[in-house]
Amino acid sequence: MPPEFSVRSDSVDVEQIMQQIRARIREKRGVDYTEEELRQLAAVKLEKFLDPTRVRSDLVQHYQKARQPGGASTLEPPPENYAFDDHLVYGSARGASGRLITSLRRLLNPVLKLFINPNPIIQVLHRQSAINAYNREQFDRIADLNYEVMHNLVLELTRLSLEVKNLKMRVESVSGRLDFSDRRARALESVVQYKPGSGPAAELAAAPTQAPAGGQGARREAETAAPGAPIKGEAQRARRRRRRHGRGGAPGQQVPGSGAGGGAAGAAREAADGGAAAPGAGGGAGDSLPFDGAEPGRAEAPSPGTPGLTDQ
Amino acid sequence: MKLAVVVQRYGLDINGGAELHARYVAEQLARRAEVDVLTTCARDYITWRNELPAGESEVNGVRVRRFPVRRERVPERFGRRSHHVFGSVHSIADELAWLASEGPASTALIDCIRRNEAGYAFFIFFSFRYYHAYHGIRAAASRALLVPTAERDGAVGLSIFGPIFRGARALMYNSFEERAMIQAVSGNDAAPHVVVGVGSEVPASTNPDRFRRKYGITTPFVVYVGRIDENKGCKELFSHFERYARAVRGDLSLVLMGNTILPIPDHPRIRHLGFVADEDKFDGIAASEALVMPSYFESLSMVALEAWALGKPVLANGRCDVLQGQCLRSNAGLFYESYEEFLETLALIQSNRRLASAMGRNGRDYFQRHYAWPVVVRKYLDMFDRLRADDERGAGRVPIEPLPGWFARRRAECRAGDIVVRELPSGPSRRAERRR
Repeated sequence: MPPEFSVRSDSVDVEQIMQQIRARIREKRGVDYTEEELRQLAAVKLEKFLDPTRVRSDLVQHYQKARQPGGASTLEPPPENYAFDDHLVYGSARGASGRLITSLRRLLNPVLKLFINPNPIIQVLHRQSAINAYNREQFDRIADLNYEVMHNLVLELTRLSLEVKNLKMRVESVSGRLDFSDRRARALESVVQYKPGSGPAAELAAAPTQAPAGGQGARREAETAAPGAPIKGEAQRARRRRRRHGRGGAPGQQVPGSGAGGGAAGAAREAADGGAAAPGAGGGAGDSLPFDGAEPGRAEAPSPGTPGLTDQ
Repeated sequence: MKLAVVVQRYGLDINGGAELHARYVAEQLARRAEVDVLTTCARDYITWRNELPAGESEVNGVRVRRFPVRRERVPERFGRRSHHVFGSVHSIADELAWLASEGPASTALIDCIRRNEAGYAFFIFFSFRYYHAYHGIRAAASRALLVPTAERDGAVGLSIFGPIFRGARALMYNSFEERAMIQAVSGNDAAPHVVVGVGSEVPASTNPDRFRRKYGITTPFVVYVGRIDENKGCKELFSHFERYARAVRGDLSLVLMGNTILPIPDHPRIRHLGFVADEDKFDGIAASEALVMPSYFESLSMVALEAWALGKPVLANGRCDVLQGQCLRSNAGLFYESYEEFLETLALIQSNRRLASAMGRNGRDYFQRHYAWPVVVRKYLDMFDRLRADDERGAGRVPIEPLPGWFARRRAECRAGDIVVRELPSGPSRRAERRR
């Protein structure tokens, strides 16, 4: 980025300012890419990210090839332009005698003009020659412009396709996180319905041997918290146990709030685990739920189906 | 010392650049010498119709002698001949026919110059491209000073003007770019010359608030002053400004002063005030953020000089070598050659107050150093002294090249004027006036 214009009261240098302005414009336009970089961007990226059936990544090469002599263009090469002036009419190519003939013709021109005036014809043909040259120049200029426009279009298309791809990934990620947050919120809502010492959790706590933590009552809550979420039976229960062990320390060590001494909090944890562990919320989602004192809202999980593609 | 200023039109209500230039110079020199203005009865530069009475009159204390134009211009014929001499190989006779059809063809004026050659110390001819300058210089070459007011167009490339540039006693150029162009096309480096330009009658004080109240303008604005014409780059200016208004938030407006021959876009931020009095013009420039000068062809922009005299920066069209050169030499203006540059430069002038005021100060300084009337008049007087000294020494008088013979004039050997001009060196001059 060019430096900002710092102006002392009497030291304005317009030439320098204009150079900076032009540098800034070049930067904005992005024309400082080398030709090689442009080709690389226009070809490689297209191959990777664009639908090959719809956009030809070698568009530019095809265009160049078509413009080369003997290329795919169906146009015949134009005939050479001629330079027409009065020398062509009066002149002669016979050396010294040619000069004499030229002089003679010029001398006799007034006589010729009694019969026919060649000057308007010379002027018209000269003008036509100039028009031809002009058209040719314009054609070349427009062709160059077309090439440049096409080149830039391909480049921009590549950039846009990359951006679209990135945006799609972000949308998926955000969508997964939203889904997860939604489920977590519903699980939390279900937790605050219970009062310590009452409800099915208290009953469960009173009969630990019949129904281990995370038993039927909790499972029902989990079902309530996540309607439609299937219970996976033993495998899921085993997974929850493993998690609790992992959280609480070595296997066999009692986790606070779990088992007989867990009470309502343990039941609630189960309920929350059950809700959060529902399919669609990610396998490890329950690990970061905020029941162990972690701040709500900080829990994050990778989005479903896009492992490693989040923007975190 | 008796001087004659020879110009195609003259009057208080005639605001063409060269004509105004001639009037200012005549009025300033009249304070130091006896000055007559020799001009035509025409007021309209399209037809050269005789609208003012022939004979003597006085304008701002300067004696004016008017001569009738023998025939009005026929625009179709002039257009056809212009097309021919600018666009294709042609003869000297074609160029002379073009000059006659361009006008103002006042043989009485030329006869007067020829008859009274000895009566004036010097004739100061304005605008090389017109009939009166070409034939007038041929009639009194030994006493002719030429103020070419040349722009970069096909007329400079016509063959008939080479002897005029080489044969005039001295040339008073408007800018270094004009000098470079004429020297390149005619090889008249040996002719005495000076880059002088013109001063301006800028008031000592202005009243921007009065202008704002009068026209109900409350927002900041940039101003364009002059004929609103596509040839002056106004169409491009409108397009650029409309895009700018879409791209940049804010309330910066474009205020236009002058008669228009171009439809003005209906845009809430473009305001046309029409032709305004000088007081309003100067107050308006003083109230503006900057003056915009979008013209592609200028030999010297007087309004840009006026803006600088009032301490305002100028935003000029960089494709005009003269304007770009002046911006660079003065460090008092920015220039653009594309919309992107217009956007950046205008936004910079609008947003960077320190830069704008520093450029304004540079402009005022530049004007005072080079275009204040004492400086300009001194250059004229010095040139007269130099030529008189040459005369006394018997040196410096080079007879003007005669016209070729009847047959040679009809030989189609002259290249198209546009092509000749296209091949001339271009670009702004950074030397000479550049501040160290």
